[in-house]
Amino acid sequence: MRILKWIFIVLMALPVFAFLHYTLPQHDIVRIVGTENRRIDFGENSIFWASPDVGTTAGTSRDVFFINAIQSNGKTIEYRNEDTGWGWPPYFKMDSFSTQTEAKELISTGAAPVWVSITHYGWRNQLFTIFPNAVAVNRVDGPDVTIIPWVNIVLLTFFAIVILMARKMWMQFRERMIDPALVEAEETWDAVDARADRARDKASGWFGRLFGRK
Amino acid sequence: MIFAVLRLLVVGFVLMTAAYWLISVYSRSVRREKLEKRFDEGDVGGDRDAYIEAGMAAYDKGLRKKLIWLVYVVPTGVVLALIYILNFE
Repeated sequence: MRILKWIFIVLMALPVFAFLHYTLPQHDIVRIVGTENRRIDFGENSIFWASPDVGTTAGTSRDVFFINAIQSNGKTIEYRNEDTGWGWPPYFKMDSFSTQTEAKELISTGAAPVWVSITHYGWRNQLFTIFPNAVAVNRVDGPDVTIIPWVNIVLLTFFAIVILMARKMWMQFRERMIDPALVEAEETWDAVDARADRARDKASGWFGRLFGRK
Repeated sequence: MIFAVLRLLVVGFVLMTAAYWLISVYSRSVRREKLEKRFDEGDVGGDRDAYIEAGMAAYDKGLRKKLIWLVYVVPTGVVLALIYILNFE
């Protein structure tokens, strides 16, 4: 039973964790090797793409900026660079064109690397052809700088406070509204019960008199 | 674009209103409980209901109740600041 309970808890927690991991910002230290612009026809992977540029019309296909880079461990990584506009996730990104310009300016070769911190959300997955969305591009000193994820610290603390607050509110509601109502219901029921007892006593008296037995 | 902005405004307004309502109900309830407990400790004399109603009237005029409006002000300010910092800085 205990194992089942834990399996249930993990199954409930996994989507929450995946959602946060996808949506919250992360930083990659990379070397940008190039930028490009490709036309993408969205298919089954369409939920992993953001919205058309602010002010332009939605369609089933559009041009998307890409940033190609090499991570500090030598592996390749590709980012899309899309507006999120007024939609989800709430990055309010409307400057994909200037982000693309910044990325172009920071292109470097392996011989003279320029290291860049790319703030992004999302996942790179070859199976579904999905890309993380680059939100900001900033130059850093070297491949092994430490970046403190302030945004995540603040947001996760805020979520924890909201959950604790919701719990406190629920306890207060239960203490002040549900428990008194239960007590009242119990008292009412006791009164009904007492009346029924009296009625039964009376009835049994009446039946007793009628049939002469109990 | 207008549709997207309107959607954000409507969803944001609904969420903030829900939060405002929940917090104000909770805050009133906590204050009333505190007044009840203070009276039941026996330090104050007089009628219990009158004492509590006077305390709630003071709460309705007080600063704490007005601070709940921050539920509307803070998220709106944060979103406006984010739009400015992320796009125009």
